[in-house]
Amino acid sequence: MKITISAPIETVPEFLAHALELENESVERYEQLADSMETHNNLEVAELFQKLAGFGDKHAQEVTEHAAGMQLPRIPPWDFKWTSGEAPENQGFDEVSYLMTPCQALRMSLHNERLGRDFYAHVADTTPTAQVRALAREFAAEEGEHVRLLEQWIDSLAECNEPPPEDMDPPNMPE
Amino acid sequence: MTATQSPLKPKAYKSSVKPVWCPGCGHFGVLSAVTKALAHLALAREEVALVSGIGCSSRLPAYTELYGFHGVHGRALAVASGLKAARPDLTVLVAGGDGDGFSIGGNHFLHACRRNMDIAYIVMDNEVYGMTKGQASPTTAPDWTHSKLTPHGTGIPSFNPAAIALASGATFIARGFSGDPGGLTRLLVEAIQHPGFAFLQVLSPCTTFRPEQKEWKKMVHPFDEDATGNPVEAAQRIVADDGMSTGLLYRTRIPVWQPANRVSMEVSELEGGFQV
Repeated sequence: MKITISAPIETVPEFLAHALELENESVERYEQLADSMETHNNLEVAELFQKLAGFGDKHAQEVTEHAAGMQLPRIPPWDFKWTSGEAPENQGFDEVSYLMTPCQALRMSLHNERLGRDFYAHVADTTPTAQVRALAREFAAEEGEHVRLLEQWIDSLAECNEPPPEDMDPPNMPE
Repeated sequence: MTATQSPLKPKAYKSSVKPVWCPGCGHFGVLSAVTKALAHLALAREEVALVSGIGCSSRLPAYTELYGFHGVHGRALAVASGLKAARPDLTVLVAGGDGDGFSIGGNHFLHACRRNMDIAYIVMDNEVYGMTKGQASPTTAPDWTHSKLTPHGTGIPSFNPAAIALASGATFIARGFSGDPGGLTRLLVEAIQHPGFAFLQVLSPCTTFRPEQKEWKKMVHPFDEDATGNPVEAAQRIVADDGMSTGLLYRTRIPVWQPANRVSMEVSELEGGFQV
């Protein structure tokens, strides 16, 4: 998936409003997935999603600190400049399953972190404003670090080399 | 870009009840869009009522921090109409699924359209009865064979919600996609602001019983033209449409029906009529 924006982001407050929405949406989605997995008794993955929500929350706090003293624009949900419909780090969540493994959850998270990194990099490449460019590069580097950590985490899981578990209670479908 | 002033964040409209929807369900996107729309409109939680019928989608009131009524199968619009008649000051939203709204509640749907009360009706359409494990609904294609009840398909042409809404007199007809919460939020905002009955069909994939609907994200596309207020044009567009177009299709304004709510009798007089 290629990240694009509808128009360059020109000011720091506008950029931070986008970053805050991206991070908050990601946190909210991970929390929702954690609840969902807990409801479906996949406690291991529930805990993992909760942990990922916590990481996202820390990043959202960092963005908030960058925005201290600034008046961020209130952007209607449909006017954010990413063209992906949802925030860049909120992709692929329709692929989750109540049986998903920690490895699958981490791979999904890795996919989204890469999209987040690409979004910030694209903003840096397209903005006409030096301050926005510098901030976007800083955020892209941070997301790149998250990508690296997730790759290491996935590499450390032995289950990632095994096939996904079979659904022993499949939906009621005819043969 | 326009500025809005909202005292509440979208999350404040969510309740602490954890959804039992399957992970990956499209309805999560609708919940998100509803909360964003209410936050964008800066509506106080106590000024909004969300009424539903029965089904997966009808669990929505439990997941929001609003006045809620999880009613009887297919009767959400009847309950909501009564509520709006008694409390016109409330913003009344109705949510349900394609089975609840177009089969069991089909009759209420027709008359809600023509009555034109100031209500926004969200139908989360996944073309299946999910809560009862995957039977064909009114919007299911006639050749869908993946149910034990209809192993050869229903053989019945599917219900066209937009066409029925238009023919029944709805004054706002739109279609959104749960995988596009931003676009869906915009439609919801417009539906809530519309004075009259606003019908919003939301394509909301059932990832468990209709996993092929995950492909909808590649199939949806915006309507080619802006909304029309001409019913003939709207009808032509509906007939030519592939069912995957999203956006506002039709909007017109006619008087909103709202009873006067005058006191016509004292309670004591009313009680007298029930003396045995």
